[in-house]
Amino acid sequence: MSHLPARAVIALVPVLALLAGCGADDSSAGGDNATLRISAIPDQDPAELTAREEALAEYLSSALDVEVEYVPVTDYAASVSLFRAGDLDTVFYGGLTGVQARLQTPGATLLAQRDIDAEFRSVFIANADTGIEPFDDVAGLTAFEDTRFTFGSESSTSGRLMPEYFLREAGVDSGSELSGRPGYSGSHDATIDLVEAGSYEGGALNVQVWEARTAAGTVDTDKVVEVFTTPPYSDYHWLGGPDLEDRFGAGFTEELRTALLELDGSTPEEQAVLERYGAGKLIPTDADSYERIEEIGRTLGLVS
Amino acid sequence: MTDLPRIASLEATGPAVARARGWRGRVRPRAAGRVWLVVWVVALAWSLSSFLGEDHRVLNTAGWGAFTEFWAAAARPDLSADLLRATVEAAATTLAFGVLGTLLSVLVGIVVAPFMSQTWWAPATASGPSRLLRAGGLLLSRAAVALPRGVHEAVWGLLLVSVLGRDPLVGVLAIAIPFGAITAKVYSELLDEADRAPYELLREAGAGRVTALAYGLLPSLLPGATSYAFYRFECSIRSAVILGMIGAGGLGLQLTLAFQGLQYAQVWTAIYALLVLGALIDRWGAHLRRGRARGRWAVSGVLLAVLVAGSVWHLAPDLERWFSGRTLELLSRLLDDLVPPSLPAGGWSELVAASVETLQMSVVAISLAAVAGLLVATVAARGGTSPPRRVLGWAARQLLLLTRAVPPPVWALLVLFVVFPGPLPGAIALGVYTFGILGRLFAEVVEDLDQGPREVLAELGAPPLASFAYAVVPAAVGRLLAYSLYRWEVTARETVIVGVVGAGGLGRLLEQQRAGFDYPAMTTTVLALVAVCLLVDLLSLAVRATTR
Repeated sequence: MSHLPARAVIALVPVLALLAGCGADDSSAGGDNATLRISAIPDQDPAELTAREEALAEYLSSALDVEVEYVPVTDYAASVSLFRAGDLDTVFYGGLTGVQARLQTPGATLLAQRDIDAEFRSVFIANADTGIEPFDDVAGLTAFEDTRFTFGSESSTSGRLMPEYFLREAGVDSGSELSGRPGYSGSHDATIDLVEAGSYEGGALNVQVWEARTAAGTVDTDKVVEVFTTPPYSDYHWLGGPDLEDRFGAGFTEELRTALLELDGSTPEEQAVLERYGAGKLIPTDADSYERIEEIGRTLGLVS
Repeated sequence: MTDLPRIASLEATGPAVARARGWRGRVRPRAAGRVWLVVWVVALAWSLSSFLGEDHRVLNTAGWGAFTEFWAAAARPDLSADLLRATVEAAATTLAFGVLGTLLSVLVGIVVAPFMSQTWWAPATASGPSRLLRAGGLLLSRAAVALPRGVHEAVWGLLLVSVLGRDPLVGVLAIAIPFGAITAKVYSELLDEADRAPYELLREAGAGRVTALAYGLLPSLLPGATSYAFYRFECSIRSAVILGMIGAGGLGLQLTLAFQGLQYAQVWTAIYALLVLGALIDRWGAHLRRGRARGRWAVSGVLLAVLVAGSVWHLAPDLERWFSGRTLELLSRLLDDLVPPSLPAGGWSELVAASVETLQMSVVAISLAAVAGLLVATVAARGGTSPPRRVLGWAARQLLLLTRAVPPPVWALLVLFVVFPGPLPGAIALGVYTFGILGRLFAEVVEDLDQGPREVLAELGAPPLASFAYAVVPAAVGRLLAYSLYRWEVTARETVIVGVVGAGGLGRLLEQQRAGFDYPAMTTTVLALVAVCLLVDLLSLAVRATTR
């Protein structure tokens, strides 16, 4: 048995090696180095999200001549908390999370939105076995009464807030008139997969993700069908943090806004970035566009 | 080493003396055991029936495809160089959180334990007021650890993020706060159980309290304290994975991102990394458990020191941030937000309903874990004689390793494909995970048993199941029960982390309140969870006291 300590040492060598081998990632530490930390709410496939945000980071880096780092987060609410704590400089938020972050972070500014965000929509999908037929009017949402239904993330605008609002308009209280309580799948992609698998009979999600998935052929449209597209509402937008000018100099917020708005696809690189965002160009936005979201958020207890 | 029944009794609510008095002697143990068994069966039936809903459908066969797709990927993990490099880095982060979290917990334990011990609060004089004051002090010190300990690491993590942001200290502190509290409690119990004669002698000779503790009590406490620290290390690694899932980084984060993108091959790379990490730590623990030779502890001590240094260097926490005005401002804002607590939107009825559901989930989960654990443990126990038995035993041990290496939220998402939504898939997910932990502990119990009676029965021609039922179960039942009850309390607290699938109970309520940043209501929900865990803890005490 005396050889056991040696064996233990040998077993732990790789562990120590890996601890020693990978140096600390200090690019994010401290606030003195001028790295612009951009982020986005985790509303879709993390690999695609990373590719999209890194493309934007590259664009902003060359447009503004600063280091830009993409910071991935796994949770909508955590993203709002990190913005409030000053750990994220610019975040591509959904309608609701943007309102939450702006209300919680004095000095935060609206920067821009995509052309598609001014008139964004959600789709309601149903498992084919339910036999729910497509319909054109909000009132048709009563078809989801007594079904097992899932939203996306609790904090999602297109996957929860607006769908819940439209369900209410149709007279369906998600708290009491579905079969059991509504699910919260966590992301738009997960909503599709769970409805396709029949775990839930119905669900609602971001129209953009739905279209991308059906175009890519990663949805079995024999098992899950689109039944309703909602009326439009204002959704995603970029917020800038209150520390931008302190860290990057006076006027930086405006420079950042300009850089975003100049992203119009005039070069192949810009084209590639916009394509990843599913947008034609970026456009200005203002607080008024999100008043309705804020109001609905208050009714649903998501904004206090 | 990881003598869990003892740990369980040390971690349980209330001072040791109160526990020892307990309910013992009032009821005959056998009769009491039968009564508890009936209570348990009724509770389980009640919980299950309330989960089944109206149409009594449980299994969703249509989701089987997605479920098997995940398992099929086990055979082909993504082994590309880039991903492997990222995985090694992530494993280092998870390990570093575990190491530093444990270190801080043990330090807190050492510093705080004396002030929680009966030894410290023992009256020096017999005067009434002094006695009362000291009894009050003891009670107060015990109550002070109930809250930090009762709040799950994940909840601490989410709260700390809003103060410390992306600093790696969030992960370390989220582990160290609850684990530090429980370590302090256990160390104080160890202090109280130690032979106090040398301490008394030193005190009589005029030594101060601290000096007397250091020279009169400490030496005899070291082995127990070290064992417990290692057990905490195992727990810390598991917590580090969960914290990673909510954003702290490391293997938990990598696994979550891959899972969200349905990249099952990458998910399996992370799972295999967790398996390797888990197996290494198991080995280390088993190695320490098998002997008390000085050499072993010395080697481990050196390794630990290197690990600690490596962890600090790897995580590079930003200490400046601690003392910045901004942190203080964010902390005061958080506290401002959290108190005074308020009821959830649905009032008391919603809070009570969610608490009951949490309790039901924990009952279902621990029942599943204990029954399945018991069945598999007999196969998994080392010491099989025939080659097929050995292969089977090895397979069973890998199964247990796998089920506890995959974090509960991932189990929950997987179960959701094949079990219709509601609290049941959440409970099953927790049950499967706890099965991995309990099964291993049960296997250790079986290994430690005297094999004589079982062999005799087998030689007399009894079938394996019968020889197991009559020879193994009676001899081991006390420890098996203690393990199960201990994990029951842990499971009740962990219901909070399967909230990701909207499983139900207080975890689901907390997720909703978090989405709306309703901090006052979150405080209430967390307090309710602490209360449920306390109730479970007290029930466990009652069961153990009356069946001893």
